[in-house]
Parts: sequence; C-alpha cells; structure tokens
Amino acid sequence: MERENRFWRVVLLFLPLSVFAVFVVWPLFSSFWYSFTDWNGFNPDYAFVGLDNYARIWTDRLFYGAIINTAMWMVAAIVLPTLLGLALALLLDRQIRGARIFKTIFYLPICLSAIVVGQIWTWIYQPDWGLLNAIISFVAGEPFTHAWLARPGSALWSVIVAWSWQQTGLSMVIYLAGLTAIPSDLLEVCDIEGATPWQRIRRVVVPLLIPSTIVVIALSVINSLKGFDILYIMTGGGPFHSSDTLAMHMYNESFKKYLMGYGSAISVVLFLIALVIIGFYFRQLKRIDEIYG
Amino acid sequence: MTCFNRRALIGCVAGTVLAATGLSVSAQDNEITITHYFTGELGLKALNEQIARFEEASGYVMRNSPVGHEDFKTDILVRASGNSLPDVFSYWAGARVQFVVDSGSLAPIDDMWDREGLDDVVAKSIADSATLYDGTRYLVPFNYHYAGMFYNTQVFADAGITNLPSTWDEFLEVAETLKNAGVAPIALGSKNRWPAQFWFDYLLLGTAGPDYRAALMNGTASYDDDEVARAMAMWKDLVDRGYFAPNANADTWTDASDKVHRGDAAMTLMGTWITGYWNDIGSVPGDDYAFFPFPVIDDSVPISVVGPVDGFVVSAHGNNPEGGKAFLAFMMSDTDVQLAWTNAVGAVSANVNVDPANYNDVTQSVIATIGASDNFAFNYDLATPPPVAEVGLSMFAEFMDDPSRVDAILDQAAADAASAFTQ
Repeated sequence: MERENRFWRVVLLFLPLSVFAVFVVWPLFSSFWYSFTDWNGFNPDYAFVGLDNYARIWTDRLFYGAIINTAMWMVAAIVLPTLLGLALALLLDRQIRGARIFKTIFYLPICLSAIVVGQIWTWIYQPDWGLLNAIISFVAGEPFTHAWLARPGSALWSVIVAWSWQQTGLSMVIYLAGLTAIPSDLLEVCDIEGATPWQRIRRVVVPLLIPSTIVVIALSVINSLKGFDILYIMTGGGPFHSSDTLAMHMYNESFKKYLMGYGSAISVVLFLIALVIIGFYFRQLKRIDEIYG
Repeated sequence: MTCFNRRALIGCVAGTVLAATGLSVSAQDNEITITHYFTGELGLKALNEQIARFEEASGYVMRNSPVGHEDFKTDILVRASGNSLPDVFSYWAGARVQFVVDSGSLAPIDDMWDREGLDDVVAKSIADSATLYDGTRYLVPFNYHYAGMFYNTQVFADAGITNLPSTWDEFLEVAETLKNAGVAPIALGSKNRWPAQFWFDYLLLGTAGPDYRAALMNGTASYDDDEVARAMAMWKDLVDRGYFAPNANADTWTDASDKVHRGDAAMTLMGTWITGYWNDIGSVPGDDYAFFPFPVIDDSVPISVVGPVDGFVVSAHGNNPEGGKAFLAFMMSDTDVQLAWTNAVGAVSANVNVDPANYNDVTQSVIATIGASDNFAFNYDLATPPPVAEVGLSMFAEFMDDPSRVDAILDQAAADAASAFTQ
C-alpha cells in the first residue's frame, strides 16, 4: 500500500515539478548564466564577459534612480494600503448605517486586474479632461491643475496612489476578520475603565491585530514585488525614466535596448533583493509564531 | 481499480504525446508561418485579405500570428532567442533590420529579388536605403510612410490662413497667426516618446543636412555638437513662443491627432498612418484635413523627407524559406495587393507600377513631395542602433518637459549615447 502511494506521489508530483523546473528553475539559472555574457537576445554567438555587467551597474545612473524608486515603491505600497485598510476596518467595524455596502465598495477594486485599474487611473489623471484635474479646477482653479503622470516629480506617486486604491480593500477585509476575533469582554473592560477611543485602539485593538497585520504586510510585500503591470500601463517607467523601478529598468535594458546580458545582471540583483526581503520576512514570521503559537 | 487508473493515466500521457507528434508531423511543406504587427482593425482585415490572395494564387497555406505593435518588439526578440522565429515576419527597415542581420537570423533574398526582377518593381530610393544590408538584400518594402505636417483645414481657414508655409519664417508667421486666433498651433503626443523624434529629425536634417545626421546616427558625431545644439535651439524657440499645446508628454499620438481633429490644435507632425486613423473616424481627406511638407529652413541644405519602411523578411532558420520568399515576391509585385494594402493603412507603395491616381488627394500630394525631395531618411529610432535610440527618445521627452535644461540634457545625451554605441 505504502509502495502504491509512493508511486502515485511521484506520478502526481512529476507534472507540477516539471512545470516548475521548466518555467521557474531553468529560467532562473539561465538568467544567472546570461548575466555573465554579452548576449543581445538575437545573436546565438555571445561571449563570456565575467563580471563586466555587474561592474557596469555601478556606473549606470538609471540603475540608481531605479533603486531609489523601487525603495519608495515598496515602502509606500506596503505602508499605505496597510494603514488605510486598518483605518477603514476600524471605521466600518462599528454599527454604522450602510457599513455592508461600503465594505463591498471598498473591496471591489481588488477584483479588477492591475491593467484595468491602471487604465481607469490614467483617465482620472488625464490633464485635459481627467476627473482629478476637473475637481481641482472646480475647487481651486485651473492654475492648480497638473499633468500627474507626465511630470517626473508626480508620476511615481500617482501610480502608488492608484495601487493603494486597489490594494486597500484587501487589507480592510483581513483587518475586519481580525477585529471579529478580538474578545468582546476586553473591549467592555475598556469602556468600564474609561479608556478613550484612541487608548482603546492603541493599547488593545492594534496589538491584538498583529496576526492580521502580518498577513497584510506579507501580501503587500509579495504584491508590491509583483507590481510591474500597473506601472507599465500607467507610465512605462516614464516620463524619461523618472518612475523606473528595477523590474522596469531590467525590462527596458533587455527588450528595448537588446542588452539581454546586462538586463539579466539587473534581474539577478532584483532577485537577491527579493531574497533578502523574503528571508527577513520569514525570520520575523517564525519569531512571531513562537510568541503567539 | 488502481490498475485501471494507472493504465488510464499512461494512456492519457501516451495519447497526448502521440497527438503532439501528430501535430508536428502534420506541418506540411506548403505551410508558411508568419508574424506581423499590423493589428489595427483596418490593417489586420486588409492584410488577411492579401494573405488570402496569396494562398489562392500560390497554393501555400499561411499560419498567421499577429502581435500588437509595441509587444511585437519584445515578442520577436523572445522568439529569436528561442530559435523559433516564423518563416516570415514584418520588421522596420533600417537599424533594426541591421541588428537582426548582424545576429545571423535572416535569410538573404538576392536570388528571389533577381528572379522576380524586383529592380524594375521597387522604387530605387527605397530599394537602396531599405533592402540592402552589408551589400545583401534581406527585406522587401511592403509599404512606406512619410512624416509631414497634417493640419485641420477648417482651423486654418478660420484663422485666415490661405497660403501654406514653405519656409521657416512663413511657418513661424502661420503659428503666430494661429496662436493669436486662440488655438494651439501644434499638437504633439510624446507620452510614448517616438512622436517627438520627427521634430528632431526634420530640424537636424534641415539645418545640418543628411551627411551630418548620418554621422550622428552611426556615432561619428556627438550630441553635444553645435549642429545638434542649433536644431534643439530652434525647437526650444517654438516651445518658448507657446506654439506647442501643453502637456505633450501626457498625450499619445492619437490624443494629439484627436486634438487636431476636434480643432483644439491646428496641426501635428506625424506619419501618413494618421490619414488611416482620421479616415476611420470620419474625416475626409482634402476637405477636413490636408498636409504640407516640413518647411525649408536653409536653401543650401538638401531637402530630406523622413519616414519608416515596413518590410517583410525571411527567417534564416525557418522551416520554409522558399515559401517565405514566394510570399515576399507576391506581396511586393502584385499591384492589386499593394494598392489595397496601402490604401487601407494610409501608407504609400514602393511598387513603381502602382498608379498614384488610385490614391486620395492627400496621399497623391505626399507622393509628389517625396518625389521632389533629395533624400529619404529613416526616422530617428530606425536610423540609429536600438540602445542609442533609447537614449535619444528619452532625451526628446525630457526636453519637452523642461526645454530650459536643453544644454544639460544634451551633455547627458552625449555621454549616454557614447556609452550606448560601445554596447
């Protein structure tokens, strides 16, 4: 029986493992290899150039811009949806009229694909007829309107806002689930002891929501690392590289400049950064698991 | 039961393998695979019709897999890297084809060219500039486009403009008149960067001439040369005078075309594909829109026209190179195919046997303008190697964002381009 089970385990694992090996493991090792070559993507003849591509990274001014943008993107894409989701969950957890409808409305954007969200917000940001400038023009006057996605100072932040708009619903739902798990007697004690709403949130609710926060941050980290599509749709890394992230820079170098070797070197750096972040995250997760069981 | 399941599973796997093998075996000698970037509604329909004509005339079967224009650039690279290029694919003549030729991915077509007598079919200026790479022919020019100043005739009439500008001073005068009439003289949609290149191309070609421009494109001249600075200064002058509609970097080329179509702006410097776009939304060539050539800046400089050539090439490692060449010969030589195709996408045929009388008035004027020019030049991103083109395209967008930084932008571009030429 055990032998029979082992047979089926091998057979059933064979297909997913083959797919994983072909589509994940093999490309990963290929990227490592190509990062040491001058391959242009077309030419089957390429040369081994050692660490030249990695040395070039240090003199690439666009790479530094992309590193800064990636850091800004990750921090903002984690912090904003987490805080906004928590705030909305705390507001909607109370017995207020229409809470259920608001919950549905705030959750809806997460059902849309990043491409659709990107297109919607591109229209909102459109300088001539977009909703945002129409509101600004109505409230403050036309001189205060702005070409949000077309100016280097605002492009990345405009995408971050769109991204947060989509991701906040997910954080909110997870926090709402977390709030239902908080024992009601603890909250009653707060009322009896005369705690202010702020004290109640800070000293009781937020600490008890730590498991939810871990899940929210985990999802935000993973989602923000994957956040290429919305940026590609809304700015394509522009205007003139001002919203390039590492993933976008790697794409441009590989597929627009045909520098596949150099693009692979950037992808290896991106992989290492992701590895460090995920490694750090798992370490923290283990520590928290030990505390909370 | 377990035994039956195991058999069923093995049977399934075996069946799948057999089916896959059968599929590959079923690929026949008369089958030609093709990938192209003509995915616009009109273009795709028109090309499918021309492909059907070829199938009927030749007995070949075409396996067609179109890919959107921007995605095509990535797609073809991925397929080349996987050694799975189709038998035939569309590509932009110039530096991009040279890049693929250098990688050994294209089959020479000299034998077919001579056999079919294409020397007598393809216009010499296009044949010389677009089909020959290192002395060998690799491409047939399926069509070509020309970038000119397309304008809204009603807006010009409302501003009282009766004479179209042919010199730079006249152009400035017209722009000033339009501005005073309360309309943005020029629309530019440089969100995707490439539409701005035509301004650089014409200003540089019109002041420094084609020889200097060729030197800049191949890396023997630099972006911090006086010639480039002078062209950029003229461009800056236009922006400073307020002739460009604001927020160029927020608009795509269709947004800019819509502005002209609606009358929010008067003119736009764009390729002839704009005629296909405008015709599609109900504009009438000659009545609603027309064009004039980019004004002459310096009489002593040869007159250049700028545009891309869309070609078909044959993969060096495809399954059916002879079929691919037969397809290229038919698409180039058949005047009905050429006429139907170029009319559908607002392009011009390089086939000398196509009678210009079959085109609309605007396209006929375009053909006359090209005929009267001294030089046909590929637009910027097809004239210089792809890594350098990326530098220039970003430079144009950065310039449109803040023209006052033009000196610093050119210094940076000079350094970046010098580095890109070594890659």
